[in-house]
Amino acid sequence: MDFNVIGKSVIRVDGLAKVTGKAIYPQDIYMDNMLFGKTLRSSVPHAYFTLDTSKAEKIEGVVKIFTAKDVPGHNSHGVLFKDHEVLCEKKVRRIGDPIAFVVAVSEKIAAEAIEAIEVKYEEIPAVFDPVEAMKDEIKVHDGKSNIIYHYKLRKGNIEEGFAQSDVIVENVYNTSMVEHAFLQPEAGVSYVEDDGTIVVCAATQYPHFDQLEIAEAMGVPAEKVKVINPAVGGAFGGREDITLQIHLAMAAVYTGRPVKAVYSREESFYAHSKRHPEIIKIKTGANKEGKLLALEAEIIADTGAYASWAINVTRKSGIHVTGPYVIPNVKVDAYAVYTNNPFCGAMRGFGATQVPIATEQQMDILAEKLNISPVEIRLKNAFTKGSQTANGQTLTDSVPLVDCITKAAKAIGMF
Amino acid sequence: MKTISLKVNGKPYTVEVEEDMRLLDLLRDKLGFTGVKEGCAEGECGACSVIMDGNLVTSCLVMAFQADGKEIITIEGLQSEDGTLHPIQQAFLDEGAVQCGFCTPAMVLAAKALLDKNPNPTDEQIKEGISGNLCRCTGYAKIVSAVKKAAEYLNQGGK
Amino acid sequence: MKKRGKGIACIFYGTGYGNGFPDVSRAYAELQPDGKVAIYTGATEVGQGAKTALSQIPAEVLGLSVDDIIFINEDTSITPDAGTAAATRQTYNTGNAIKMAAEELRNELIKIAVKELELNSDIGLKMKDGKIFLEIYPDKCITFSQIAAMQEEPLRKFAVFTAQTVQIDPETGQGAPYWPYTFSACAVEVEVDTETGKVEVIRGAHAQDVGRAVNPTLIEGQMDGGFAMAMGYVIYEDLGLENGKIWNNKLSSYIIPTSMDMPEIQNIIVEDPENTAPYGAKGIGEPVMISVGPAILNAIYDAVGVRMTEIPVTPAKLLKAIREKEQKEA
Ligand code: FES
Ligand code: FES
Repeated sequence: MDFNVIGKSVIRVDGLAKVTGKAIYPQDIYMDNMLFGKTLRSSVPHAYFTLDTSKAEKIEGVVKIFTAKDVPGHNSHGVLFKDHEVLCEKKVRRIGDPIAFVVAVSEKIAAEAIEAIEVKYEEIPAVFDPVEAMKDEIKVHDGKSNIIYHYKLRKGNIEEGFAQSDVIVENVYNTSMVEHAFLQPEAGVSYVEDDGTIVVCAATQYPHFDQLEIAEAMGVPAEKVKVINPAVGGAFGGREDITLQIHLAMAAVYTGRPVKAVYSREESFYAHSKRHPEIIKIKTGANKEGKLLALEAEIIADTGAYASWAINVTRKSGIHVTGPYVIPNVKVDAYAVYTNNPFCGAMRGFGATQVPIATEQQMDILAEKLNISPVEIRLKNAFTKGSQTANGQTLTDSVPLVDCITKAAKAIGMF
Repeated sequence: MKTISLKVNGKPYTVEVEEDMRLLDLLRDKLGFTGVKEGCAEGECGACSVIMDGNLVTSCLVMAFQADGKEIITIEGLQSEDGTLHPIQQAFLDEGAVQCGFCTPAMVLAAKALLDKNPNPTDEQIKEGISGNLCRCTGYAKIVSAVKKAAEYLNQGGK
Repeated sequence: MKKRGKGIACIFYGTGYGNGFPDVSRAYAELQPDGKVAIYTGATEVGQGAKTALSQIPAEVLGLSVDDIIFINEDTSITPDAGTAAATRQTYNTGNAIKMAAEELRNELIKIAVKELELNSDIGLKMKDGKIFLEIYPDKCITFSQIAAMQEEPLRKFAVFTAQTVQIDPETGQGAPYWPYTFSACAVEVEVDTETGKVEVIRGAHAQDVGRAVNPTLIEGQMDGGFAMAMGYVIYEDLGLENGKIWNNKLSSYIIPTSMDMPEIQNIIVEDPENTAPYGAKGIGEPVMISVGPAILNAIYDAVGVRMTEIPVTPAKLLKAIREKEQKEA
């Protein structure tokens, strides 16, 4: 097929604005009569708390201090479960939970007011180890098991698979919680248009979903909310959950003035999700020829205090832990677990990034035992057109894995 | 409050600044040069870099009053009035060195500070020249080739 | 001592929301008075290049250049919902929706041209640079702007694309949880300093299946960025998490790769068009980071003979592992 535009390295259409510094990120929006908002966040991981805002309210230039009772609609949000509170009402579940939002005439005064709010914490036992959390002795969300998802895969006969294997390798791998570190910290501006439409400008990965979340928390129909998504300074999954959007909307509606908030880098680390750390227990078996016969895995994903995308991430881990290989006998159990750690959600690769840390090292260990090369063992088992995944899905089209393996290997002198 | 005079992109300004105001805030909040970005406020990310008297500085670590009598160049000062891009800007576009763009204004300035002093840098020197500027999107490869290309354009008398 | 080693890893990656969840993208294609075409869709540009790649698709359909596509995606009140800029789904999902909308607009334009040019059929009609003309007799020609001027309401076409997946069985996991899958492999060479435990990635070769490359420079940019992020993941980045507290919540203590850390990377774009994708193009935003990490870990083993089962492989951890191995051998 001959193309005119497809396949051409056309210069990016947003490039000109970006190289000239004219691209507008939310922090670059300045409006007349604008107020500034700052968030007070919990400093302890698990506690009941009370707030005394009286001193802070008296500071000149403080316009309003919002707490849970000021949320007009549902005091909740979340991409899967509505388990986040817009502002925590009486309990915090992690360090960094938002508990108050101060609006003042300047950023400096807002910061001063944050310091002046008195928070009394009554700390309760917290759980940070997901294995411990699975026992449900300490519950992160009242009346709810910490285990929020269990992915199960059963294919073939796992005992027979291992019985037929000439080599078996078993290990436990631990992956870490990490941060998106997009270069543009969260920022936003909200204002109300003449007809009452609430406008929120913020960098987000899904403006139409933010619109719904804002509307529900504000108790207004979705048509009354407009989300403007200006230039976004990187995302990588870290801008899928609500951060400051609802706080700003509340403040704009209450004050009738534009309200802006910009997170510091330190606050940004706490404000958005992280990558789920996973404990991956994995056992892989192959025959003398290097054909994979069995794979058994147990994955525990720590989602921290909130679910965010935990279920989908964990499912994705469970599905991808086989690696891109044909394996006749597979058993996988993957769990998503609440703890009092920072909450985890989407990050580039979404569960499929964690598991190859285990799977792909297993392949090399097997290869060494079998005295074949890492490239050879992969080629022997790689998906090709027509292969079936462990989920029973047929790969009908566009499966150039062997091509990828041989090209990469050749380029580095491994093949 | 203190009154200072400085030049930004060739234009003189006399402004009142608070003692604790950073050059970054002066440029963004007071003078409207929002191409200067804040990414960390501790001199680590380089997104707030501007050129002050010929040297690349992180404007989050410079106090506004320290800019008294200085000449500052921000990204807004690079494009000609007729809209022609500076060769470095053009090279960033041509080489695909821009993604989210948040690091870009400062990267372009870092490249300028480097090329002003060293018109024919090696790859290693380019990497060093931009090493104070973090980019989370590009993995730097295309930025390095853009700076190389920019050197070419500049040595040919601009593109 | 400095020791070198090589490692490889390969992966598959299921794109889209998956698991039977309705994965829907919507778009409008609208003819403008000046003959340009506006695309309205809710797909976000986060830096990945969505605005550009998703402009190339309708440009191809309509015989226009990218300059003639006006891409509008910033405002929920005027754009239809196109799902998240996530799950590596925009090129495939929203790309399909935009392609369908652009094709409908194309068909409509052709129909109008046949009528206005008083032709018997659309055979031999070409669409290029904002003109529709008969190749065998180019005087029979009408421009997009002429057609636009004839409309009372702007010509506007809407399309919805919904990806196909099948929810898995909760007990057995059987189903078709993602579609399409993307594949990649990465091979690297590292150098480990056995005195300090520091790992340096010397070079890398990264082969990524893209279905069809819409914009090779954008793809390479994603591959470079994914490589860097993976290096951070397996050898640098550490939140210093302790009892729920992030000690390294600054860029001075949370170390991400700088220009000085990056090796020479050979990006290999592998094309194998996917028949359900727009022009065969599959998404690549996430898979580009996945195989790099385990390739580095395998290379570390090849260099110094220790298996690092816990990431990040900080110098302290690696040094400890190397010393333990030496002791065992002694
Ligand atoms: S904001 Fe100044 S170096 Fe990061
Ligand atoms: S392009 Fe996004 S940080 Fe550099």
